[in-house]
Amino acid sequence: MYGGGNVFEATKFDDLQTEDPVKLAEFEARIARGEKIEPNDWMPQLYRKQLIRMIEQHAHSEIIGALPEGTWITRAPGFRRKMAQMAKVQDEVGHAQLLYSAAETLGKTREQMLTDLINGKSKYSNVFNYPAFTWADSNIISWLIDAGAIVNQMANAKGSYGPYSRALERICAEEAFHLKYGHDAVVHMATGTPKQREMIQAALNRWWPPIMTFFGPSDKMSTHTETLMRWKVKMASNDECRQQFLDMYVPKIWELGLTVPDPNLKKNMETGQWEYTEPDWDEFKRVINGDGPCNAERLAVRRTAEERGAWVRRALLNPKAKYVRPLA
Amino acid sequence: MSLTSLDPRVTRLNLPEGEAPAIEPKPELDQFETYEVFHQKKEGAAYTYVGPVHAPNEEVAFLFAKEQYSRRAACTGMWIARTEHIQVTPYAGDGENVYDMVRAQDPTEQSEQPEPYEIFHLKKRGKAHTHAGRVMATSYQEALQEARNQYGDKGPIVNVWVVMSKHVLQSAEEDKDMWTTIPEKKYREAIAYKVMDKITKYKEEHKTTAS
Amino acid sequence: MNELAIKDLLYKLADDQLILGHRNSEWTGFGPILEEDIAFSSMAQDKIGHSLAFYTLLQELGEAEPDTVAFTRNANQFHNSQLVELPNGEYDFSLIRHFLYDNAEIIRFEMLSQSSYEPIAKVATKLKGEVKYHVLHANTWIKNLGASTEEAILRLQSALDEAIPYALGMFEPSKYEQELIESGVYAGEEAVKTAWLQRIKTVIEKTELKLPDLSTIEPRFGGRYGEHTEHLQPLLDEMAEVFKIDPTAEW
Repeated sequence: MYGGGNVFEATKFDDLQTEDPVKLAEFEARIARGEKIEPNDWMPQLYRKQLIRMIEQHAHSEIIGALPEGTWITRAPGFRRKMAQMAKVQDEVGHAQLLYSAAETLGKTREQMLTDLINGKSKYSNVFNYPAFTWADSNIISWLIDAGAIVNQMANAKGSYGPYSRALERICAEEAFHLKYGHDAVVHMATGTPKQREMIQAALNRWWPPIMTFFGPSDKMSTHTETLMRWKVKMASNDECRQQFLDMYVPKIWELGLTVPDPNLKKNMETGQWEYTEPDWDEFKRVINGDGPCNAERLAVRRTAEERGAWVRRALLNPKAKYVRPLA
Repeated sequence: MSLTSLDPRVTRLNLPEGEAPAIEPKPELDQFETYEVFHQKKEGAAYTYVGPVHAPNEEVAFLFAKEQYSRRAACTGMWIARTEHIQVTPYAGDGENVYDMVRAQDPTEQSEQPEPYEIFHLKKRGKAHTHAGRVMATSYQEALQEARNQYGDKGPIVNVWVVMSKHVLQSAEEDKDMWTTIPEKKYREAIAYKVMDKITKYKEEHKTTAS
Repeated sequence: MNELAIKDLLYKLADDQLILGHRNSEWTGFGPILEEDIAFSSMAQDKIGHSLAFYTLLQELGEAEPDTVAFTRNANQFHNSQLVELPNGEYDFSLIRHFLYDNAEIIRFEMLSQSSYEPIAKVATKLKGEVKYHVLHANTWIKNLGASTEEAILRLQSALDEAIPYALGMFEPSKYEQELIESGVYAGEEAVKTAWLQRIKTVIEKTELKLPDLSTIEPRFGGRYGEHTEHLQPLLDEMAEVFKIDPTAEW
């Protein structure tokens, strides 16, 4: 589950002057023809660097994203929900595994990525720094955060890097279940008892502001972004994803008689664009830099899982083993 | 003081509260080496690449691969090969045939007797490698040449993987029953969740009370 | 066939699976390596699925529906062995419990797939393949870790010593033991235990672990008759926390 916000930062590799012009032209022509890039191909440093950053953040978002819904894994009501909640959270861990592997093909090891995650050096999707207070919060995450993630991931699956596309195809297929499961749970709550309805509306109110920041701030078009779009690393702007999400899901929220806690939210029929209150980007920045309600806990849990599992990994380590990057 | 969480499982972990110092970088192989996984979707179908797993050895790799790559889709068999054991050709462009590009090379290592090798083809960039067949050879290089002779003219092939059969762990025939119930686990399929009735009913009721 | 005997058997099977599945699900997201996290979660889901299948058979015999049975009973109405309700501890204990439990489970499933009571035979036959993977998983881990570092061996040994009296508690005979055996439902707890010992010994012999002398160990009985450790009721309260907000609601 990943929204794609705040990924592309300028790096010192921005300068394409240092790249071999013939190879660069071949590389760009391949992408322009609609071919995928595979791990052993020549690629510009900027392409490699930005892909690693993006896929790694996506992977971290999956493994940390398992925690807010994991909060309710032991308390899911009834067999149907209990099994599905387990499977759903498990899938997020599975997605992390797929994505770490895709990033590894570009040359960063899983060990390095996990170290950077735990030490706060690399980011993950900001929404997972918010708490899931009730079972209803978990349902809202399953439905709407996954919905947002699918919008982003469907776009990225059409990107140019083969291993990432392959992973995303699998992930999108699995998330079709998450989305339906989440919607099913929300519909049951919204059309259920007054208490259930109250719970789901309260959860929606809590989660709406983070959801609106899920796709990241408006993109400032720079030559940098243009390059990444030409290379099919970035496939859609943050605003395009946000608009698409609102288009698809606001009607589904409204048809359940639920309200969205933003008096300014409406579709402008002339422009075809949704208008909304600008999310609090200062809060977004504060939280993504570590000062959110759950940042410390999320990382502490990940750290503890790694530390307490270390004896298992140490015990099975084969000193003669040689690490080779996964092939595809 | 330990951390109290909204998640009772986290509370039970007894995590220390407060800032923790940065961890040492994880040592090399903390996450083990990698194995590549191929699955068979249905009886008789060619084995297809699904992705890697990190594992300390082949048998644990199988345990991991089975749940990571076959819990969500029909499966009738699985093959596992250590990444290190797979030899990879360069990649051709889409529509090209990589066999036209690779020249015969001298073997780096040779066996006395011919041994079986498994050949996997990638037909298009971005897709998955699929088992093309098995050849007998005394080296990887010879196996590639054999593969070219036997399977090299079947349309565009952008990449080839070659691995000695003895390095491929194949799930056993008698273990097929481990996969038989997968299609029945509907709770993790989108199709199991149908709520239109509830939504329609809600809208109907809402209409009457509103009018 | 004595329906009470069948019900008693179904309750202990279902309750064991529900409680262990629940315990194992606590690991999701906290496992020692991503791939193992995924595998362990699948087995937890399987266990819950198995319990549902057996509660469904109970419903067919006139008991309440599975959700009610699973989410509204108190600890003293549960028939699971005490082994499955113990807290997870660290991964060593969870693995050892998984090993001890599933090596008994596979024997039950094999016996039950031949049962004279057809509904059980059908369910057991269908789900046997899943338990087979659980056993393969458990045995592979124990063989690997049990012959690895001193640290791992010590951890597993102490988990084994701690778990074994509770594991023996799995085989607490029911008051219908003789009837179940005579009517061919299954061969009974003593037979399961004998076969189980064979199985676990074969694995343990391949490691540096030592099976404690079982003749000196007092089995932790009681679970099959509703006597539980202090850990079960809090587990059940947690499991039913949302369900009990409104037991008549559809969640």
